[in-house]
This record gives sequence, C-alpha cells and structure tokens, in this order.
Amino acid sequence: MSEDLAPPRWAVELNSPPVPRTKATIPDPPGYTAASSGNKKQIASSKTPARTAPTTEEMDTLKLKKAWEVALAPVKQLPMTAIMMYMSGNSLQIFSIMMVVMAFKNPIMGLVATNQAFEKFDSDGTRAALLGVKAVYVAMQVLALALGVWKVNGMGLLPTTRSDWLAWETARDAIETAIPAF
Amino acid sequence: MRLPTNLICLTLSVLPSVIAVYSDEAYSVDYHHELLGLPLPHTTFFYRPRKDDKASLIYTLSDLGVLGAVNPGVGTVVWRQLLADYEGLPQPGFLRPIEGENTVVSAIGSRVDAWDALSGKSVWGTSFEGAARDVEVMEIAAGSTEAKDVLALFEEGGTTYLRKLKGTTGDVVWEFKDGSVDTPLQVSTNVRSVFVVSLHGSSSGYNLKITVLDPVTGKRTTEYTLTTKLDVHAPEDVLLVGANSAAPIVAWADKAMKTLKVNLLGKPGDIQSLPLKDSDGAIKKVELHAPHLVQSLPHFLVHSHTETSNRADVYHIDLASGNIKKAYDLPKLPGQGAISVSSQEANVYFTRLTQDEVIVVSSASHGILGRWPLKLETAQGSLVHGAAEVVQKSSDGYAIRSAVLTTEQDWVLVRNGAESWVRPEGLSGVIAAAWAELPESENLVKNLEVEAESNPVSAYMHRVNRHINDLQYLPQYLQALPRRFLSSIIPAEIIAPKIGVLTKDSFGFNKLVIVATQRGRIYGLDAGNQGRIVWSATAFPQSEGRSWDVKGIWVENLKGQTTIRGSDGEYVIVNTTSGTKIESVAPGSWPTLTATALVDSTSGKWLLPIGIDGNPGDIPSEWAPKDTIVVRSGNGEVKGLRFEPKTASPNSEPVMTWSFTPPADQRIIKVVSRPAHDPVASIGRVLGDRTVLYKYLNPNVALITAVSDEKLTASFYLIDTVSGDLLYSVSHEGVDTTQPITSALTENWFTYSLWGDITTDLSLPSTLKGYQIVISEMYESDVPNDRGPLSYHVNSSSLEPSDIPNADPSLPHVVSETFLIPEAISHMSVTQTRQGITVRQLLCTLASSRAIIGIPKQILDPRRPIGRAPTAAEQEEGLFQYTPNIEFDPKIILTHQREVIGVKDVIASPAILESTSLIFAYGVDVFGTRVAPSAAFDILGKGFNKISLVATVAALWVGVVVLAPMASLFPY
Repeated sequence: MSEDLAPPRWAVELNSPPVPRTKATIPDPPGYTAASSGNKKQIASSKTPARTAPTTEEMDTLKLKKAWEVALAPVKQLPMTAIMMYMSGNSLQIFSIMMVVMAFKNPIMGLVATNQAFEKFDSDGTRAALLGVKAVYVAMQVLALALGVWKVNGMGLLPTTRSDWLAWETARDAIETAIPAF
Repeated sequence: MRLPTNLICLTLSVLPSVIAVYSDEAYSVDYHHELLGLPLPHTTFFYRPRKDDKASLIYTLSDLGVLGAVNPGVGTVVWRQLLADYEGLPQPGFLRPIEGENTVVSAIGSRVDAWDALSGKSVWGTSFEGAARDVEVMEIAAGSTEAKDVLALFEEGGTTYLRKLKGTTGDVVWEFKDGSVDTPLQVSTNVRSVFVVSLHGSSSGYNLKITVLDPVTGKRTTEYTLTTKLDVHAPEDVLLVGANSAAPIVAWADKAMKTLKVNLLGKPGDIQSLPLKDSDGAIKKVELHAPHLVQSLPHFLVHSHTETSNRADVYHIDLASGNIKKAYDLPKLPGQGAISVSSQEANVYFTRLTQDEVIVVSSASHGILGRWPLKLETAQGSLVHGAAEVVQKSSDGYAIRSAVLTTEQDWVLVRNGAESWVRPEGLSGVIAAAWAELPESENLVKNLEVEAESNPVSAYMHRVNRHINDLQYLPQYLQALPRRFLSSIIPAEIIAPKIGVLTKDSFGFNKLVIVATQRGRIYGLDAGNQGRIVWSATAFPQSEGRSWDVKGIWVENLKGQTTIRGSDGEYVIVNTTSGTKIESVAPGSWPTLTATALVDSTSGKWLLPIGIDGNPGDIPSEWAPKDTIVVRSGNGEVKGLRFEPKTASPNSEPVMTWSFTPPADQRIIKVVSRPAHDPVASIGRVLGDRTVLYKYLNPNVALITAVSDEKLTASFYLIDTVSGDLLYSVSHEGVDTTQPITSALTENWFTYSLWGDITTDLSLPSTLKGYQIVISEMYESDVPNDRGPLSYHVNSSSLEPSDIPNADPSLPHVVSETFLIPEAISHMSVTQTRQGITVRQLLCTLASSRAIIGIPKQILDPRRPIGRAPTAAEQEEGLFQYTPNIEFDPKIILTHQREVIGVKDVIASPAILESTSLIFAYGVDVFGTRVAPSAAFDILGKGFNKISLVATVAALWVGVVVLAPMASLFPY
C-alpha cells in the first residue's frame, strides 16, 4: 500500500457522498446525531484527501471491536427467541418443531464455524485477545443452545424423568415359584 | 328449524364412540350355542299355544332345569327360562301343558310357575316349603269356561302336601296334608277324583299307597294300599302313573321283568298281571306310554327293551269293567327304538322310530297308518326317546314330526322320516373347558426353538435344510396364492372357505376349545369358525343323577394331546384335533382327587392330582414338582407344600411349608391366583408429572375370600403363596353371604364384588346396602419413583426378602376404591393378551341379565379423583372424576342381544394380535367372542375398503402408463 497515491475521486465520493444542499437549511431531526456526526467525520476526512491510513494498532483495535460485536451477536437475538419459544407453546406442532430445530441448528453451526467467524479479525496482534473473544462467543452460543434445551425440556422431549427410563427397567424375577391347585 | 336437528344428528353420528361390539362385528366375531339341556321324556311334548292355530311348539324342561320352547320347523329356541340355580344337578322338574289355554305349568324345587306358552312370560308363580314332586293340570267337566286349576304335590320334611292352585292366579284353593311319613310319588286325576300315589314303607320294599281325594274340597275320600311284594325299592321302579287319562293307572314290573302289574287307580285290591315277553335275553327296560288327555281313548302301550331288540304291546282298558286286555303288538325289531304317544281328540297314535324307519299306528288297531324310511344325515347313534306329533291330513294321509334324543346327545327332529334339524344339546352343561392351539404350525415353532438354541452355523444349516424341505410344498403354496390374494381383498367368506378344515390363521383367532360336559362327554369346538363342533366323544358316561366332576384339562399343544382328569381318578387322553381316544383309565383306578396342578418336574411337565384334604401323596422323586404347590385342604385352610425326598425311598413326600387358616367363624369360599399367562408390559404406572409408581408384581400371590355367616362379614386376604405371608387384608360388614361373592386377581390389581354395607361415613352406622365392586391396585411404594424396600434388586425372594435375616416381607401399597353396580356379578375373569400391552378388561357375568360385560380398566381405577375435577396432570394420566356408580351401559355388554344363561366360567386366551383377546364362556350355554380392550389398533376394520384402495392404485398406474408416452412427445 503506497502512501502518496490518493484514492480516485469516485472512491472518495463512494465513501463520503456529497452533502445535500438542503442540509444547511433544514436542521437534523432530534436524535439524528450519529449519522450526521459520521457524515461530518466523512466530510472532514474527504476534505483531507491525503488521509493518513490507520495504523496497525488502530486496525487491531478496530478488528477487536468488530470481533466483540460478532461474539455478542448470538445473545442479542436471545430475548426475541425466548419470547417466541414461550409463545409457541409446548405442544408438538410444526411451528414449535421448526423453532426447536432452528434453536439447535444455529448455535451448533455457529460453534462449528467459530474459527471461520473470527478469521478475518485474525492477525498477529489480535490473536491473543481474540482467544477471549472466542471464548465469549462460544459461551454465547452455548447460552443459545441452552435456550433450545430449555425449550425441548419444556416440550417434554428430554429423558430427564423416571418414566423415560421405565422401558429399560425390568421386573424382579421371583426366585421361587408357587403353583396354585385350588 | 329442521336443519339444526339434522346437523346435530349428523354431528352425533360422526362422533366416535367406545363400544364393545361394533354393529358390523356382531354375529360375525361372536357365536352362541343357545342350548336347553337334554330333554327328558316326561317333560317334553308338542303343544299348540294357540287353540285355533295348527302351529305347535316343542316344550321341554331339560335335565339342567331349563324350560324352553323350540320351533319345530327350524329348531330355534323361541324362549327359555332358567328355572334351576346352576349348582350341580338340579332337582327333578315337572312340566304340563294346559290344553287350550296358552299356558304351560312347571314345578321344580320349591317353585310352581305358569308361563305364557307363546312368549315365555310368567303368568304367575308361587313358592312353597319343601320340594315339588309332581304337578298336574286339573281337568274340569267339558263345557266349562273357567281356567283349569293346577295340582301341585310337595314333599316337606317327609310330609306330603297336595295343593290345588287357582289356574288364573296361582292362589291356593285347598291344601291336603298327609299325616303319615310317605314318599309322595305322583298325583293323577280323572275328572271325578284326585289320586295321590306315594311309597309307603321302607326302602327294603315299598308298598304303594293311593289316597283318593275329592277334587272340590280336597278331603280324603278313601285310601288303599297295593302290596308290591318287594318289587318296588325306589321311586324309579314305579313305571307309570297314567296322568290325566280317563282311566289313570299305576304300573310296576316285578323284579325278574317277567310280568307287569297294573292297577286302575280308584279300584282297591285289583292288580292285573300282564306278561312281558322276552324271546331273546332278559328284558332290560320297560316303558309305558299312555295318552295324557281325558278325552283320549284309555289305551296304553308297553315298550320292552332287551339288550339287542325292542318290542311293544298295546293294551285297551275297558272303562266299564275295569279289565285290561291286549289289543295287538308291534313286532320285535333289532336295536334300540323310541316310541312316543300323541293324541288328537279321542284318537291315540303311537309313533315308533327304529334305526331305519318310522311308523305310525293308531291305538285302536294294528294297521300301519304311515311308514317312512328313516334317513339321518349324520351318524347319530341310536335313539333314546322322543316326542311326536301326528297330524291327520286327509282320511288316510298322516304327517308326523318327532323330536328324538339320540345316544350321541343330539336332539333330532325327524319329519316324515327325514332329518329336519339337529340341536347339539349334549354340549350344554359344560363343567370345564380349555383353549388349544391348532397344531398345524407347531412344527415351525419347534424348528425355530431348535434354531434358537443351537450355534449360529448349525442353525444356519438347519434353516437351509428346512427351506429345501419346504420346497416340496411349493406347488400347493402357489395354488393357494390366488385365494390368499383374493381373500385379503374381498371378505374371506365370499370365496367359499373350506368348511371342516382346521387352519391356523395369521391373527391367531383360529383356536380350538376342548370342553367337558357334566354328562361325561367331550367336545372340540372351533373358536375361529363360529364355535362349530369339530368332534365329540363320550368319555365317561354318567349314570342318571350324577355329574362328571372334571378337575383338570391339560392341553399339550406340542404333542397335540389333551388330558382330562375327573374327580374319581379317571382320566382320558384324546387327540386335540380329532377327538380320538389315546388312553382312557376308568374311574376308581386312581385315588379320588380334589384338584390338579400342572407341575414341572425333572422328568417333564405333568398334571399332578391333588387328593382328598389337599394331599397329593407320595410321588416318585423324578416326577416330584420342583415348586411349591398351593392347595386347599378340607378343613378350610390353604397351605403350601414342597416335595422332599424320603430317606431310603425313591419317592418324595409332600411337606407343608406354610398354612393359612382364617379366623374360626370364617369359611373360605374362593381362592384366586394370577392367571398362568399374565404378562406385564410396563412395570410401573407413569403419573401426570412423569414420575413412576412401581407396580407390585409378585407372581406368587393369591386372594382368599372368606365369609362369616354369623357375623355377616366377607374378608379378603392377599397372601404370598411361597412364604404364606399375609400381604394385605380387608373386611366388609353387613354382607349377604348367600349372594354371589366373586373375585379376580391379575397384574398388580385385584377386584371383588359383593352385596353389603355401603360405608360413606365411618362414624355413622350404615343403613345403605347394595351391590358393589371394589378395585384395589398394589404398588411397591406409595411414593413415586421409589421401588420400595427391595429397591434395585434384580431378584426377589419371598422366603428371604432382604439380606437381613428374618426380615419382614415387602408389603404392597394398596389403593382401593369402591363402585356401586346395579346387579350381582356371578363370575369374574380378566382378558389376556399376548404381551400384556393392551389394557386388561374385567369380564363379568351377570346372571340376572343373562349377559357378559367387559368393564374397561380405565373406569375401574382407584386413583380417580374424588369430589373434584381432575387436574391437568391427572388428566394427562387418563384419570377422570370419580363417580360412585358404574352403569352397565349396553355398549359394554359383550353378548349384545344374545341371552347367555347359566354361565359358570369365562376363559380368555391371547391371540397373535396384541390388541385382541379371545373369550369363551360356558355353562348351560356356550358363548364365544373376541374383545379388543384398547380398540383394534393392529388390524384394519371391516370398514376399510381394500377394493377402492387397490382400484385407486390401479387407476393411478393406468394413468401413468397412458400419460408417460404422451408426456415424452413434448420436450418440456
């Protein structure tokens, strides 16, 4: 990556589109801060075409930040899933079965693909820190899995009760036999 | 507003209903032999219930005490009444028609009843002390329109009572009491007088005493004695007291059967001797036949039998002089024959049936009025006795119907010499029955057992050899293939099933039932083919008044043999499928036995006889049973026996290991144990919260019922039959011990029914009584998920229940509940299925409803919540709210419309289909059916349309074949 080569104009405009002219006259709606501030930053950066590229440390920090987002993503949908699972009831029907299948499939696929999920954030600097992130990621997937297990348990599909093992229990053999002759 | 009603009806018809017999299964899965018992000669007759109508019915009061009317045209029962309590042999019964009044009068035991002859409904009935000895219809002078009165002769504690009962109501008009101690024999009447014939003296030699009574007042007019010179020793020795004829007679034969002594009733001291001819051998039996109508000619017939032939003489009585003179004789014919008398107004006809012909003669002259060759379709043995009806069609044309009993105990109607119908009355009065497998595929079972036991290589070789051997049956198999295909699509009956061939079916419905009757006959019935009689044989003919007491039937399915043991030590071994006798040992060769048990010894299985007082006696050691034998002894106890080798003897002797005796005032009336085939699929009961209550599944338990007649209690004791330990007991107060008390024990539950106090509040004295059924379930512990004190022991021992020496036995936790039922249950048994997965059904015999019902176990559940709706968990367990009474819903009646009388026992057998249990009930009647207590979950119902299924598949296939080339014309 050469430092003095300025990016072409279309690339700059792609990243920071020109500010609409109405922008000056109409104030932002209340709460619309993030985007405008972002825009302002972009404008600011676009104003300085010879932007200094982020340093490796900065990239690592950024990557770590992104990695955290990926790690915490599963837990963000948990409340929603939990509510849906609660609402769908414990009876065996196509909707609840599909939900249970998804509740198991997603975390397991996520666990299997743990390394792929963090591959793009992997670098020499982040490798050490990424371990912890991965651990959290795994923990979150396990949490999601636990929700699925909770649901399956609610549906009575887990062999947790005595009755589930009754078929493998046998009656006691009587050692003695008595033959009735009445 | 018609639409809603229609809609409701439609909705209701769509709703599924739990019923015992689906309407399309009635009469196809169940079968019923509607029997009467053997007709007796003096209580069987043709009679016209409607005076003006020519149609007549056959009436009989059988040896089992069943009164019935049979349609002589087709041989079906018009109506039946069971007059005797079916406990052994009933007392002698008497039956008379009232001419022209549509009534028959019966007397049996303590009862006299009049029945509507057409419908069989009771007109009136009374009961007296003592026992009926005779009943007679009092003839009245011609022209009177009043109902004819009935004379009933009773013996009460040695005293003779004669009562005249009003013909319309049964009220007593007058009563005559004979002061002296005589044995009343018969009552006879002509219009002028009533004669009571009784035996006077002692059993070393009776004289006949005839008391003449005034029919209006019942006062004694005269009395005279006939000296019999030691010819009469028993009531049976008096041959006939000619009932209602114009000239009633009393007759007896002398000891040597040389002469017949006859007295016209009402003529003291006048004994006429008639010679009995015996050209070949001594006369064995003499019968007299005389008309029973007062307007009939005073003629009678003497029928004498020798060992090889029979002949008859007809005598006329001169009414004016009282002389008896011989008119003519019927020639001697070889073999046994039956003669019956029938009268039409004044004319008296005698019908003679011999082995090959039927002849009718008038009593007046020896001219033969009709002669027909006798053609019986099946070999029926020889004829015993009959009742006949002669109809004069034209001046010289006669038609004759004769209902004859044969020595094979079939009741045959012979119409003009041709067999019209046959009723297998010998099948009535069954005292024991057992299921037998059809032996056809037992070979396969044996082969499979061999293969299972040998090592894999030799088993494989064995199997290959077997299949090569099976190839010889390939042509037959291929021939049968189209039939098999067709029969699986169209109902099998349409493609002419082979009658008379016993074939095993894949569902296991085709089984044999071996039955033994109290008259010493045995039958093989095909349960899969409407209870058809496959074979019958006479095992041990019983003398009159005795009942064969069968103590055990053991069917050896592998050998195809059945052993039947009687109480006098006799036994017979027959082939299960053909009934041919293999071995027969006469009564008395073995000691008397009270029970049998199928035991396992080192030399194999055998039927161990248990002698008097529950003592099996010494047995050779190699035949001694390995297990404890539980017997009942004579002095009211139940005990366990083990066989111990005797010192210095090859025999083993029974040693008592335990005994159970109820309290002094109680007597044991019944002991039940779990059925021999009682598999349990699940060892626990899963509750709503998915915890498990473990069933108490001790195979060695027995439920003893003991009653106290003084304290009016019934106690039930559950004992362990190996150790004799008392596991549970319960007692009921205020029990009527004369009412039926029955019990059943299976799986982990037992049930019993009785008539006693209904205790709702224990603090109050109970005033409510009723029929009740009590169900008790036994669990290993009252806590769910707990296997009781034995915990996870793989084995259980009744003698040493735990590692601690002399520990107490682990007692079951018993949950009980009582339900009220509308009527008495006379017998209980339980369905059996192959693996015990199907819920059991309690089969109850209702004597008063003449029905058998199957009460589902779901209703009889002691865990049903009382006084509240079930919780969600309880609902999940299948419990519903307790209701104190169980209605015997017609839907649970297994016999549906059929009236099954005199049921003694109901036996069940598993089919190959797990859902189905085969049921067989016996007693007076024979009834069999199939039940599916948890619905027929493993077989398609009759409603399943196989034809439309096959047609749909075929149509789709045709469619594909037609459309495939068309579709291939277009590239896409």
